[in-house]
Amino acid sequence: MDKRPSDEELMTGIAKGDEYAFQILVERHQTSVLNLIYRFIGERTKSEDLAQEVFLRVWQAARTYEPKAKFTTWLYRIAANLCLNELKSSRRKRWLRFFHADTEEQTVGEEDFSDGLPSPEDLLLARERSRQITSALQSLPENQRMALILKRYDDLSYEEIARILNRSVSAVESLLVRAKKNLQEKLKIL
Amino acid sequence: MISGAGFWVESCLIILRDDLFAETRCDMKCRRVQKKLSAYQDGALKPLEQEEISRHLLSCGSCRKEYEQLDRVWQALGGLEEISPGPWFYPQLVGKLKEPRKRGLLPALEHIFRFIGAPAIASIILVIGLAAGSYLGSNLARRGLFPSQSIPASDSQSGFFASMRVFDPAPPGTFAEGYLRMASYEESGSR
Repeated sequence: MDKRPSDEELMTGIAKGDEYAFQILVERHQTSVLNLIYRFIGERTKSEDLAQEVFLRVWQAARTYEPKAKFTTWLYRIAANLCLNELKSSRRKRWLRFFHADTEEQTVGEEDFSDGLPSPEDLLLARERSRQITSALQSLPENQRMALILKRYDDLSYEEIARILNRSVSAVESLLVRAKKNLQEKLKIL
Repeated sequence: MISGAGFWVESCLIILRDDLFAETRCDMKCRRVQKKLSAYQDGALKPLEQEEISRHLLSCGSCRKEYEQLDRVWQALGGLEEISPGPWFYPQLVGKLKEPRKRGLLPALEHIFRFIGAPAIASIILVIGLAAGSYLGSNLARRGLFPSQSIPASDSQSGFFASMRVFDPAPPGTFAEGYLRMASYEESGSR
């Protein structure tokens, strides 16, 4: 029998100010939240900041949290909203980028492989493939991208994605059809 | 003989019609299946539909090809590596948690500023500055605070033009104007 406290139980603890419950919850979901944001935004440092912001909001909203749906649906909804807002505000900031080109930013597909031992050719190939996938993913419209990430990497159902994106199930279905068609076009060379 | 030939032609026509009908029916089915391939891939269809499409894919080459392309892209997406949060993630988060949140007017103004953008704010300030400058300038001129240009209060148009003289190289009532007057006086005296 699973003796681990459920997310909802942890949230009850967090509502009472239990930091240990918060730590368990963060450790349980940090990787999935971070990767969801990273795949959407494409910048590691920014993704870590946003992932922390997601958990800050969880802490702040714990008192008013009502377990109406699955906890992860609620959590991913916070993350998705933050991602979409971030994209909007970064579009506004884009004109300022002339002044400080952020060359040190590590982007998806430019990871440090120093821990493993792939051959230089494998490394180059993997990087190139990863770069192509990333740029194809990044070129998708926001909602298509988010729906696709939630389906492909988090394996959520259409109903869950619909709740996260505040859309109908049929809208999610058509978002995914269009996202896959677009990707098919963009990844033809693979 | 003729009836034999007629029968043969009629049979051919029936076969042709059946073939065409079968082809159209197949096309329609393929189109319907291809529309649902994405949901089929995601396992989002009802079990019966899922099974029906599986059977269709076994018998139809073009739909199978379509599905394989879709699947290739799906597999390629798996090529993106997963990242892990650094060991500082939680301690940093707790640090942020204990930081007092910015509240009040200043963050709100910051937000508005960020939203509207610096160029818009700068243009608003410029317009306000110009309006205030011309208003103050005409008022000062009307009240006779510019000694060389005391303008009757009723003459608002000339008041406005006088106020615009603040942009002159030597606006009236300034040291520069006095210097220029002195220079021109000395010049005329020497002649």
